[in-house]
Amino acid sequence: MSTVSNAARPPAIGDVAPDFELDDRTGGRRRLSDLRGAPVLLAFHPPHWDPAWPESVRAYNGLIANLPGIAGARLLSIADEGAWHAPLFDDGVLDLPVLWLDRRPIAERYGVLEGAAVFVIDAEGRVAWRHIAGDPVSSPPNVPTAPIEPADEPPADRIDSDAVTTSEWTRRRFVATTLAAAVALAFARQVAHAEEVANAVASNGPTGAANAVRLRVNGRDISLDLDPRVTLLDALREYAGITGPKKGCDLGQCGACTVHVNGRRILACLTLAVMQQGKEITTIEGLAATAGGSGDALHPMQQAFIDHDGFQCGYCTSGQIMSAAAVVREPWGPSDDDVREAMSGNICRCGAYPGIVAAVQQVRKATSSDTNGVRR
Amino acid sequence: MKPFDYTVPRSVDEAVRAASAPNTRFIAGGTNLIDLMKIEVETPAHLVDLNPLAESDSTLRSVGDAPGGGLRVGALTPMSDVAWDPRVKERYPVLSQALLLGASGQLRNMASMGGNLLQRTRCPYFRDTAMPCNKREPGSGCSAIGGFNRSHAILGTSQHCIATHPSDLAVALVALDATIRVRTPGPAGSAADRTIAVADLHVLPGTHPERETVLRPGEMITAIEVPALSFARHSLYLKVRDRASYAFALASAAVAVNVANGTIRDARVALGGIGTKPWRSRSAERALIGKPAVAASFRAAANAALQGAVTHKDNAFKVELAKRTLVRALTEVVA
Repeated sequence: MSTVSNAARPPAIGDVAPDFELDDRTGGRRRLSDLRGAPVLLAFHPPHWDPAWPESVRAYNGLIANLPGIAGARLLSIADEGAWHAPLFDDGVLDLPVLWLDRRPIAERYGVLEGAAVFVIDAEGRVAWRHIAGDPVSSPPNVPTAPIEPADEPPADRIDSDAVTTSEWTRRRFVATTLAAAVALAFARQVAHAEEVANAVASNGPTGAANAVRLRVNGRDISLDLDPRVTLLDALREYAGITGPKKGCDLGQCGACTVHVNGRRILACLTLAVMQQGKEITTIEGLAATAGGSGDALHPMQQAFIDHDGFQCGYCTSGQIMSAAAVVREPWGPSDDDVREAMSGNICRCGAYPGIVAAVQQVRKATSSDTNGVRR
Repeated sequence: MKPFDYTVPRSVDEAVRAASAPNTRFIAGGTNLIDLMKIEVETPAHLVDLNPLAESDSTLRSVGDAPGGGLRVGALTPMSDVAWDPRVKERYPVLSQALLLGASGQLRNMASMGGNLLQRTRCPYFRDTAMPCNKREPGSGCSAIGGFNRSHAILGTSQHCIATHPSDLAVALVALDATIRVRTPGPAGSAADRTIAVADLHVLPGTHPERETVLRPGEMITAIEVPALSFARHSLYLKVRDRASYAFALASAAVAVNVANGTIRDARVALGGIGTKPWRSRSAERALIGKPAVAASFRAAANAALQGAVTHKDNAFKVELAKRTLVRALTEVVA
C-alpha cells in the first residue's frame, strides 16, 4: 500500500522515546538518551524545501525561550542538509543543533517518513506530547483550541498513514504542524503556571504571570495563556500559529506585521495582545473572506499583487497587502504619489514598489468605479 | 521587556488614582511606549490601559465642536481620525497636515493625540542603554554633545541635553494656542480638572533633562482644545526630512497668516525639528505683523526666529535649513 508499512508506529505518549545517535557538529557523537535531565523538542522537517521552514524553527525557539514549562529544552531539528537549512542553525538559542544528511533512519523509528512532526520528550526521556502531520491535533483538558487547517482532519485516535506518506507536501500541513507544537507548548506552560504564581506572590513585584487572553482572529475565537508582555504579533505567530503577519524590524518601522483591527490597518508588533481583546483582528489568512471570497478565492488586492508582480522575495508582501487593502478605504487622493505616501509605512527591500503602486491603483480604481465591488 | 502588571481602569478617576503609584505608565496607542519598553528604556512596573475608557465615554475618542467655533479633541482619538476630520481640514489645515506628515498610516491609526504630545525624543543615545544620557539616566552625561548630533536641537538646548522634541502635532498646536484638559488626582480618591497651554506643557531641559513636562504623577490628558482662529484657514505645515515620507523632521514650520491689502495683520509661527520643545516663535510673529507680505519680511522673520541658535558639530546646517523652511512656508501660505 505505501512505504510507511516499513516504518515503526510512532511512539505513544508515555513511551520511552526511541534512542538514536546524534552528531553534535564538533565531531562528537552523543545519544538522545544522553540528553535526559532536560526536556527535548524533537522537530522533524519534511525532506523538501518549504518556505515556512525558517519560520517554524524560529517559532520553536521562541516558544522554548518564552515558555517556562519547557525552558531550557533542547530543540533537535531533524532535517536533510540543504543550503536553506544550514544557516539557521547558527541561531544562538539552539543548544545542540543537529543536521542530518539523511534523516530517514531516525524518521522511520518515529513513524515519520515524509511529513513534519513534533515530539516533546520529557526530562525522563518519555514522549510527553506528539504531533505528526496529518494527525488530528489533540486537545488536552483546558488547552484552548486554535483554528487548525486543514479542516478535513481524519477521525481522532487514528494515525492516517496516507497523510503521513503524502509526497505532495503542502504549506497548510506545515502551518498545522507548527500550530500543533504551539498548542503542545501552551499545555506545558499551564503546568508551569502554578509555580510561577507562587513565585510571584513571594516576590511582591510585577508578576509577568500569564493570563487568559481571548482574541478574535479571522472570525474565530482563540484563547491563549499569555504574559501581558506578549505583543499581538507574537501572540499570533508564536502562540496561535498564525504566521501570515511577519516580524521584520519589531520596532514599528517596516510594516511587515500589518494586520487589521476593526477594519483599520495597524502594526501588530507595537500593541499588546491583551489590549486587543474583543476586537475583530484580520490577518492575511482571513483577508479574502472579508471581501466575500470563499474557498481559494483571493481578495482583489491579493490578485492585484499577482497581476502586477508586486513582490519579489515576498517577506513584506502580507504586510503590503494588508496595508493596501485598508488604504483603498482611506480618503487618499488618486495619484501615484498619493499611493506612495499612503503606503510609506511598508518597506520593501527588494524594491517592488512600481508593482505595488500599480496593484493598489488597480483596486482603488475598481473600488471607486464599482460600488458593488469590494465590500466597504 | 521587563515584567509589568496590566490594569484596566473603570473610570478616568480610577485611572489617575492607579497611575499615581510609582513607576506607572498610561498606555493608549502604545506605539512609542511599547517600542521603548522593548529596548528597556522604559521599564514601568504597572501599565494602565486607557483605551477601554472610551467605550463608556465617547468624548475621549472623538472630535467635537467647542463653544465659540473651536474644536475639542478627545485625548484617546487616533491621529488619523483627527487628520481626516472635515472640520479640522477646513478650519485648521496646519493641524491636519502636521498629523498626516507624521509617522505612517498604520501608526496614525494607533497613536493617540494625548500620547503624541508625550512621546519621547528620538535621540539615538536616549534609545541606547549602553550610552550615557542625562534624560534617561540623570547625571550620566550627554553623549550627543560631542557625539553624532546631526538630528539634534539648536534652540532651547542646555549643556546637559540637546535632544529634539519629535512631535509635529505639538508644533501645530502651539501655533494655534491650543490647550489640554488634564485630570488631576487629589486627596482621598478625589480628582479635579485643570487646563494647561500646550506651549506650557513641555519644559526646557536645563539642568534636569529627565523632566519633560509639567504634568504631575498620575495626571491624565483627557482632551485637547483648539480655540477658534479665523485665519487658521490659511495655515500650513511644511516638513523637511531625509526621506520624502515617514521620517522625523530635520526642520518644520507651522504657520498661519492673516493678510489684508498686502499687509500682514496677524501671524502664528512655530518651528519643529530644531527645538528641545515645540518652538513657538513670537519674535518671528512680531517681525511679520504690520509688514508687507513679501519675501524680505519672511526672511526677516526667519532671522528673528533663529536668533540665539546654538549649533554643534553636525547640526549647524539646521540654522539655514530652518530659515528656508519658514520662508517657504510663509511664501506658500500667502500665495
